[in-house]
Amino acid sequence: MTRIIQLVLSPLIALVVGVLLLGLSRKIIARIHRRYGPPIYQPVIDVIRMMSQRSISHGSLFDLGVVFALAGSLVTVMFIPLGGTQACQPFAHGVLCPLSSSGGLLVVMYLMLLGPLGLALGAGDSANPNASIGVSRKLLLALAYEVPFLLVILAVMSHYETISLTEIVARQQQAGWGALSVPLSAVAAFLILPAMLGVRPFDLVSAPQEIASGPMAEYGGRSLALIKLYGATHLFLVIALFVDLFLGGGVNLATFLLKMLIVFMAVEMINAVLPRVKIEDAIKFCWKWPAGLALLQMAITVLSKSG
Amino acid sequence: MSAQGILITAFAGAGLSYALGLTSARLREVFAIVVSVLLVCLIAITHGQGAEHVYYPDFLGLDLVLRMDALAWFFAITVSMVGCLSVIFSLHYVRGKEKENFYYFALLLVNAAMLGIVLSGDLLSFFIFWEIMSWAAFLLISYKRGRALDAGLKYVIMSILGSCAMLLALLYLYANYNTLVISDLAQQIRSAAGGFPLWVMLAFALGFGIKCALIPLHTWLPDAHSEAPSPFSAVLSGILIKMGIYGFILVMYGVVGLKLLLEVGAPWLHFHTVLCWLGAITILIPTFIALLQDDAKRLLAWSSIGQIGYIMLAIGVATSLGLAGALFHTLNHAVFKALLFLAVGAVEYKTGGVRDLNRLGGLIRRMPVTFACALIGGLGLIGVPLTSGFVSKWLIYKTLITEGHPFLALAALVGTWGAILYVYKLLHNMFLGQLPEKYANLEAAPFSMQLPLMICGFIIVLFGILPGIPLSVIGGIVGTLGFEPVTATLTGFGPQIGPLNTLNLCAAFAGVLLVIVAFRGIAARPKPVSQDDSYAAGAAAPAGKYHHTVRFYDPLERMTGGYLRDWVDQFYLSAAGKAKGVFNGVRRIYTGDVRTYVMYIVALLTFLIFAHTAGWL
Repeated sequence: MTRIIQLVLSPLIALVVGVLLLGLSRKIIARIHRRYGPPIYQPVIDVIRMMSQRSISHGSLFDLGVVFALAGSLVTVMFIPLGGTQACQPFAHGVLCPLSSSGGLLVVMYLMLLGPLGLALGAGDSANPNASIGVSRKLLLALAYEVPFLLVILAVMSHYETISLTEIVARQQQAGWGALSVPLSAVAAFLILPAMLGVRPFDLVSAPQEIASGPMAEYGGRSLALIKLYGATHLFLVIALFVDLFLGGGVNLATFLLKMLIVFMAVEMINAVLPRVKIEDAIKFCWKWPAGLALLQMAITVLSKSG
Repeated sequence: MSAQGILITAFAGAGLSYALGLTSARLREVFAIVVSVLLVCLIAITHGQGAEHVYYPDFLGLDLVLRMDALAWFFAITVSMVGCLSVIFSLHYVRGKEKENFYYFALLLVNAAMLGIVLSGDLLSFFIFWEIMSWAAFLLISYKRGRALDAGLKYVIMSILGSCAMLLALLYLYANYNTLVISDLAQQIRSAAGGFPLWVMLAFALGFGIKCALIPLHTWLPDAHSEAPSPFSAVLSGILIKMGIYGFILVMYGVVGLKLLLEVGAPWLHFHTVLCWLGAITILIPTFIALLQDDAKRLLAWSSIGQIGYIMLAIGVATSLGLAGALFHTLNHAVFKALLFLAVGAVEYKTGGVRDLNRLGGLIRRMPVTFACALIGGLGLIGVPLTSGFVSKWLIYKTLITEGHPFLALAALVGTWGAILYVYKLLHNMFLGQLPEKYANLEAAPFSMQLPLMICGFIIVLFGILPGIPLSVIGGIVGTLGFEPVTATLTGFGPQIGPLNTLNLCAAFAGVLLVIVAFRGIAARPKPVSQDDSYAAGAAAPAGKYHHTVRFYDPLERMTGGYLRDWVDQFYLSAAGKAKGVFNGVRRIYTGDVRTYVMYIVALLTFLIFAHTAGWL
């Protein structure tokens, strides 16, 4: 019974928190730009509005791709530990991670693919070159940040000698945060966070002024609402993973969300002030600094393990 | 049914289909399909049998032996399955083309020879069947003539080199042990010491490496795969190159054995470690070359080389999980690469031979079934969860990480992320985007072409959700090769190997999908619009020309294109050119003038007399 509650609870938390973070993002950026900004629940209003509008469709894959993207990211959340569950004790015990026994970090990495892939397939079916260009950029950007990201993940897995994410979190709560045991990996991961989230300076995938929002060019109505929700879940997912890998997860849900909020604020500071880069420069950056740092950390980890 | 019966059926089937084709084309087609399906059934019922018997005693003083064991059965069922699907696909593909009889004969012969290879119990039969396979494959690769003939020639020259190396290894083994029966060799070689096993394995590695296109022995493959008829490309990429993999597993674990293998090579550089690193290079470079291809089949060919890298990497690690991953990936790659080649073949067939990725597009509207199957195949190739490719790649990563090879794991993982790019490019440029006007009334592929695609797609999803079915067979094979058997549950692995439960994953995904679809149902249904009715910043979108395909990954292409030429191929070609020059020079001594030849004879005699008087002879 508690398992079923957990299964419902963790995607719900991701959706609610993700949507609120999206709203918070607009607020923070507005304040940095010395504007008042929309209310924090603005994305909720947007989703309701879009659900009430009738949209167009370019084919069944055009509609289904978005559904797959959202489903993929919501399933991924179930594999990620969201902190201990002391706060919601009557409903859940131990760590809030309903599917931890069905897959570890490797599964999470692969499941995180489903979102971009679903969106790419749907956008491809829209027969609009802006969408195709956006997808091409998205896939290139993914290749760019995945190289350092994989190095980071491998260093962490080698350091803790496990592929289970819950175990990595548990080990950190005993022996100190990952940010202290594998510091260079943590720095590298933070450097690629904007790229993974698709925010400035790496917002070249949607780039509204250049390629008409890229993959989203043809979407509207309910499909766009689902894309919005997918974006929110993805935002939650990436930051939650960072907290789990380097900041020791959370003793309970509240501390976990607090850590997420701090990481999110830091990313938003970068988002608010930097301009967009070209895709070539994004690739060069990702393969130079974050990848270099992560590689160094991995070499150190391997040597210290063998020595 | 014994191994002998299976082989007789296979070879007789090939011969008879030629004979029948002389009387009636329809009869031959039915017969070819019956034989292929019969072979699958015959092999399926021999599951779990283990037998070894002499079928030709005392051939040149050697006993020729056939045997059936778990490893042979696994490869035999894969070969017969993919062979059968490609024969079914061929029905429409070659109908009306020239030399149909010859085509079916050669196709069935290749399949029969591959069955012979895996069922051989001694290395001489192995070699004979290997040669039949190589030559029959040459006939099919150059079936289309023209550029195909060059591709075939390249293939056959490299094959011959590989065969020579293999023959050398055979002679070496025979000279030492006086037998070529695999089980006897495995007994006797245990006492071998020093460099002997290394030289034997190096010679075999050259032969097998050329066949399975391990870098730097891969250069025949991109040409051969893209020029061969599509159903045969499926066989070529799906199973023929896997014979090299079978050879590696047989020699490394079946003959030399795990214990000796781990000692082969210098103390600081083991044979299997080198194989691992070659595997890693074979993953990385071809993946990035595949991204730049504009020919659908060439893209898939480079991708095949990359996937072979995964298998070699996993074989080289020499652990039970690694070998299980390698065998599973061999099966998976056979299925999804056959599917992708057949899907490209179906498009090629309907569009009149177009496989240029810049001239297609939007075909999802005309060929939805082909697209759906190709999508499943592509997802399997990437290794998306809930496809079989995920489980085999998971096994490989897991092994590499827990055995402490993070750098090799990095190569494997980056290869996968590269695969996403080329799979998307393939699917997008062919099936998505705008449909060109000339294909507006294209019909879907005939059922005999869709059926093999659907079977492959079904297998990929089935084994992705219930990986325990193939893993129960594979776990047993790993046990017979001197490793600890791998125990898998029907839906993944228990906590001791690592958390993985694909059925839970599938259930969670299905549940979430249902909820989202229900939520989506609240809103109004969207209005279908035509492909021309799209956003173009206020301008009218030009019909049929509004499609982004050319240089799809342009920024990356500009960054890496300069480095990603096939250096190895260029080196071989220049070496071949130089050799040709040398031989041309040597040819000049044949002047055709009798006086010159007399001079050669006199010169030789003078030298001999001189040598004799000087006391050299």
